[in-house]
Amino acid sequence: MQEFTWPGRKVEAELAFDLEKATLRREFEQHLKECGTLAFRVARGVLRNAADAEDVAQEAMLRSYRRFARLRDPSRFRAWLVRISFRLALDHGRSARRRQQREIAWATDLPKPTAEEIAASNEFGRRLQEAMRSLSEKSRLILLLTSMDGHSLEEVAELLQLPVGTVKSRLHSARKQLAEKLR
Amino acid sequence: MTCDKYENALLLAAASNGEMDAKLTRHLACCSRCRATLRAERELFARIDSALRAQMDEDPRPGFLSQLRLELSKELTARPGSNHVWHVAGPALALVLMAMFYPLVNARQSSVQGNLQMPTIRALPSVGITQSARARKDLGVRSSHHSKRPAVQSASPPEPEVLVPPDEQKAFAQFVARVAGRDARAEVVVSPAADNPVARNTELPGVASVDMAALQLQLNRTEQSEWMAKTGGPE
Repeated sequence: MQEFTWPGRKVEAELAFDLEKATLRREFEQHLKECGTLAFRVARGVLRNAADAEDVAQEAMLRSYRRFARLRDPSRFRAWLVRISFRLALDHGRSARRRQQREIAWATDLPKPTAEEIAASNEFGRRLQEAMRSLSEKSRLILLLTSMDGHSLEEVAELLQLPVGTVKSRLHSARKQLAEKLR
Repeated sequence: MTCDKYENALLLAAASNGEMDAKLTRHLACCSRCRATLRAERELFARIDSALRAQMDEDPRPGFLSQLRLELSKELTARPGSNHVWHVAGPALALVLMAMFYPLVNARQSSVQGNLQMPTIRALPSVGITQSARARKDLGVRSSHHSKRPAVQSASPPEPEVLVPPDEQKAFAQFVARVAGRDARAEVVVSPAADNPVARNTELPGVASVDMAALQLQLNRTEQSEWMAKTGGPE
């Protein structure tokens, strides 16, 4: 049996819902620029393609908006966003077709001052990406986040909600593995 | 051989860009080969870092954020925190569950209905007479439409031929007596049945049998002769 509700109460509930939505939207807008860029950079680090990274970042931001009511704490929100962006980027990158497109686009993405540098840079970039793919996901994410401008080990530790010591050891191990593959 | 001992320390120093221990510093001061190795390793790490930084410091194109705002405005129609997947998955899951459990529920209902629809009065097919006729016969009542042959005393088989639920036994007995045209005897008929209460099954309706032998009128000789005279019984 359906419970009777006064029409006024229904309007009141709708208004409260709209107000809550507007508040959430306003709060989310404050994070948008910073977090949108963060999501893009994480995705770009995995995918090496700006267009794909934008798609992934957009999807990650939409998902984070849907969960924003539960993720209002800024540190939790950023941590969640980094993880979801990274995970979505990995999934996106697994598509063979998109990988092929990225390989083609990779040549146009890098700065090319001279022919020698182009060749050397492309070759190094290709080998670097191969080496990156061989790393574990945890190490890879730490490597990407610490490479971002202005992200100290402490900030990365906060983003990933890990102890600083863990981040430091994983970073060291990841760089060592990369160097071994690129030597 | 001496340089091999410092290999790990060299790599560590190159990777960490930190301070070197005193032994390694002393060795590097006198070993040009290790100095070259350290330089090369530091260059490699610098290159890796610079490539990763270049990759990670790229900003999205200017239209990205406005496009993102546009997409978010589409989300405004939905309640934040709700998962849209469940809007589709919820009803689908409900349908699947219904499809899974419907045969079980249906079978259960059929079983219950089957029990409910058990005949309250069951005549043996081989007998070939109506239930009321059999009841009259068992009561020793001769139908006015039938022949004038004498009413035969019950020749009913030992198995009960009439199954009546306990709460209908009284009414059935009254019905039988009324059919026989003997309302006055109804109480006599009813009393034996009432003496055998059957435990009620609350889960499923219990169907108890009525022993027709108990329903028979035991007329004494005077009453029998009166009845014979009234109905024109065999003489």
